[in-house]
Amino acid sequence: MVIVVAECASGHLSQTSREAVAAARHLASDISLIVPAPAGADAIAEALQLPVAEVVALEHDAFAHPTAEVLATALAPLLAASDATHVLWAHTYQARDYVPRLSARLGRPLATDCVAIERTGDGVLFTRTIFHGRLVADVVLDGPGPHFVTTQIGAFRDTAPAAPAPAAPQLRHVAAEIPEAALQVRAEPPVRDVRQSTDLTQARRIVAVGRGIREESHLGLVRELAAALGAEIAASRPVCDAGWLPMDRQIGSSGQTVAPELYVAVGISGAIQHIVGMKGSKTIVAINRDPDAPIFEIADYGIVGDLFEVVPALTAALTSR
Amino acid sequence: MTQALERETLEVDVLIVGAGPAGLSAAIRLAQLQAAAGGDPLSIAVLEKGPEPGAHSLSGAVMDLSALGELFPDFEARGAPVGCRVTGDEVRFLTPARAWRLPITPPPLSNHGCAVVSLSDVVRWLAAQAEALGIDVFSGFPGSELIIDGTRVVGVRTGDRGLDRHRQPTALFEPGVDVRAAVTILCDGVRGNLTKTLVRRLDLDVDRQPQTYSLGIKELWETPAPKVPPGRVIHTVGYPLQTTEFGGAFIYGLPDNQVTIGLVTGLGPADPLFDPYHTFQRLKQHPFVADLLEGGTLLKYGAKALPEGGWYAIPRLAVDGALIAGDAGGFVNSLRLKGIHLAMRTGMLAAEAAFDAIRAGDTSRARLVRYEQQVRTGAVGRELFPVRNVHQAFDRGFFTGVAFAGLSMLTGGWWVRDPIPATAGHRRMRTVARVHGDPRRLEAALAPPPFDRRLTFDRLTAVHHSGTRHREDAPSHLIVHDTDICRTKCRIEYANPCTRYCPANVYEMVDDGAGGVRLQINASNCVHCKTCDIIDPYQIVDWVPPEGGDGPRFEGM
Ligand SMILES: Cc1cc2nc3c(=O)[nH]c(=O)nc-3n(C[C@H](O)[C@H](O)[C@H](O)COP(=O)(O)OP(=O)(O)OC[C@H]3O[C@@H](n4cnc5c(N)ncnc54)[C@H](O)[C@@H]3O)c2cc1C
Ligand SMILES: Cc1cc2nc3c(=O)[nH]c(=O)nc-3n(C[C@H](O)[C@H](O)[C@H](O)COP(=O)(O)OP(=O)(O)OC[C@H]3O[C@@H](n4cnc5c(N)ncnc54)[C@H](O)[C@@H]3O)c2cc1C
Repeated sequence: MVIVVAECASGHLSQTSREAVAAARHLASDISLIVPAPAGADAIAEALQLPVAEVVALEHDAFAHPTAEVLATALAPLLAASDATHVLWAHTYQARDYVPRLSARLGRPLATDCVAIERTGDGVLFTRTIFHGRLVADVVLDGPGPHFVTTQIGAFRDTAPAAPAPAAPQLRHVAAEIPEAALQVRAEPPVRDVRQSTDLTQARRIVAVGRGIREESHLGLVRELAAALGAEIAASRPVCDAGWLPMDRQIGSSGQTVAPELYVAVGISGAIQHIVGMKGSKTIVAINRDPDAPIFEIADYGIVGDLFEVVPALTAALTSR
Repeated sequence: MTQALERETLEVDVLIVGAGPAGLSAAIRLAQLQAAAGGDPLSIAVLEKGPEPGAHSLSGAVMDLSALGELFPDFEARGAPVGCRVTGDEVRFLTPARAWRLPITPPPLSNHGCAVVSLSDVVRWLAAQAEALGIDVFSGFPGSELIIDGTRVVGVRTGDRGLDRHRQPTALFEPGVDVRAAVTILCDGVRGNLTKTLVRRLDLDVDRQPQTYSLGIKELWETPAPKVPPGRVIHTVGYPLQTTEFGGAFIYGLPDNQVTIGLVTGLGPADPLFDPYHTFQRLKQHPFVADLLEGGTLLKYGAKALPEGGWYAIPRLAVDGALIAGDAGGFVNSLRLKGIHLAMRTGMLAAEAAFDAIRAGDTSRARLVRYEQQVRTGAVGRELFPVRNVHQAFDRGFFTGVAFAGLSMLTGGWWVRDPIPATAGHRRMRTVARVHGDPRRLEAALAPPPFDRRLTFDRLTAVHHSGTRHREDAPSHLIVHDTDICRTKCRIEYANPCTRYCPANVYEMVDDGAGGVRLQINASNCVHCKTCDIIDPYQIVDWVPPEGGDGPRFEGM
């Protein structure tokens, strides 16, 4: 028998768990799927659809947002007592966090991030990539069973049965026993990163600012012009490099490539690395005090002058309309 | 952090750092020795910082094919990209308006039987040969640190990936790998970061002359008319260099109407205001050169330093567990402007010594030192020893150098003072005040020549043609240990020579918003030439490899 330990997200069985089951089918058709989840989670019904012999609903409220310690403590007695040959997990962040603990605690060998499993005459060969994916190593596990294995995400996509699918799985409920000590650290629900990266490629108008602005504190000037035009603000590399604007506002060969209807370049010299990122703009306006600045070569409208005079005047003219 | 725990290790018999001509020749020779001798197969790994072999290779190049013939007697049948043979040589002496052709080509500059090549192409081909022999070439893996145990080199740690500007791990973080080897062969090229550390750490250069260097700036052009036919080799001396400055230009004809043009200038002229990039632009404006490039387009740009100290500047090459080969060891014949074949030869010799040591079960210096003996007594020594004093003579001015180069042919390189003493380039630089005195002359010296954007370009446009890319939010791989010196002392004494020496505009002095200036390092512009590390008069700049795969794309160079 082979055990697969599933992972849940918001009460549902994760896709990676299905992959782990697919991987397990390279080893045996007799699979027991342990699903650590709070009682009543949808994950159990989902697990029953998979080609396994048995689903063990391992229940505890702490599984809603489990810590590594909770999972390790709840699973340890189950795995230690089992007569399975192997236990499999998908190589997720969660598995990386607690499977090594289990392996150390129970003294069972562990092969991580495997991409292939092959039965040989007298044993099983696990293939894992090393050296940032440049080399593959064939690993044979020995020592007391069950042997622990995590499988690389995406490596076992095919759920095509290597062995005939069994009849509907048996369902067994087990209440997890987690001592108080393991519950002292409680995990909060994960927060989503709310910061959205700016997609300047969708902007119709862009005001871009360069090193001519001299200081971060002068940026307000350009923001006001952008507001008056209903434009997004962007910049050349030195401005982003100094941290005055975030990196995702950089236009050019190592930043974004944009083609808005209007591109206003303020205090930007027009180095080729900047130009390649904006030369497709429909109308280009350049404000620069150096009449020889290369930006004027591609500008449709050029204003030779001090931006500290020109920009406020433009803003005033636009807002007074 | 658990970084230390997560680091992978890889054990090999021989580790080679740098997939240039030296490193790949070493790898290929090892595989050949292995195939001939049979027995347990050796595991061989090659680390290369570039995204693929050849991407960081830049050279002239007129290649002496003798070493290639030793490595692969059937190199032509194997399709080595060395088909363009030299059809004719000329040397010209340039004055501001004229180009006098020397009536005869001095023997060392004669290239009969050599090939005009793109080193980048040759290296890509060598790597394919190596891989066909079963060697793992790990491109995109820079060697960032040596792993040293006492006096023994036991391996190399590769660079971490996915660090942010402040060297904190991001979501993409992957720690470098420890590659442990019985013998490590350092082929990390001119001013290689690992060789530099090893030489300093184990004092491998005591009683040797300081290494001296030149900077080569090169462009590849496509011209409408084949004014420089394929295989044509032109060298120039004189303008735009001063007679006190070492160097010269090379112009080589390639197939498909392509022309290579480059300028090699000594790193260490007395004048801190010397600007190699501007000097190169002036070269192209010379009527003789401008005519050759007329109507053409710039295809590629790049720059790289080369070691020129010669025989007496070569450090000890063997230590417990490691050998040094190629430009890393300083194997360039500066009189012939050739190092490719010497890199290949020393690579092969290092491989032979490594193979012997591993089979003997003794990889200590005592056994590996055979390599130094082979270098001394074999073809490499026979070529470099007679010209051992030439470069030092050029340090004393161009005419002294030429006179000496001529005389040394007669005396077998011997001179009343042998060795002629040499000085490291960064020590030769004089302060602005000593060279220019009057600050008004300084203004004139700093003004760039006008760029017409047909023949001459500003630095950033040139850098664009080097295909250089680095992740913008990666940590700077140019470490300036004390930027206070830049805005205070260096500004006054030398007027920040880094801003002129760097052919890629990495260094800028910008307004600090408080009435002064500060150093701005645009590390992502870097073309990996190593000049800043070499020339900085205070020796506070350290070039370390950036994230693997980042840097220039020198295809065709
Ligand atoms: C590999 C590589 C990648 C790069 N990627 C990018 C990239 O993605 N994006 C990018 O932008 N750059 C990139 N660069 C950098 C690029 O080469 C230039 O250095 C950069 O674009 C210059 O920015 P700038 O025009 O703001 O600054 P500068 O070139 O310093 O120009 C400032 C301009 O402001 C003008 N000015 C100054 N004061 C005033 C004033 N009071 N009023 C009006 N005008 C004034 C000056 O005349 C000057 O023209 C890259 C470079 C390399 C080598
Ligand atoms: C402008 C110019 C013109 C020249 N003209 C000629 C000529 O006409 N004929 C001639 O024979 N020679 C010429 N030379 C010299 C010749 O190019 C060199 O001697 C030769 O390339 C040396 O080979 P190498 O393998 O030792 O070093 P390189 O060719 O420099 O190769 C070193 C390799 O190691 C890699 N590397 C460096 N550090 C690390 C690290 N830490 N980790 C991983 N990889 C690393 C580099 O990316 C590179 O691929 C010229 C040189 C220059 C600069």
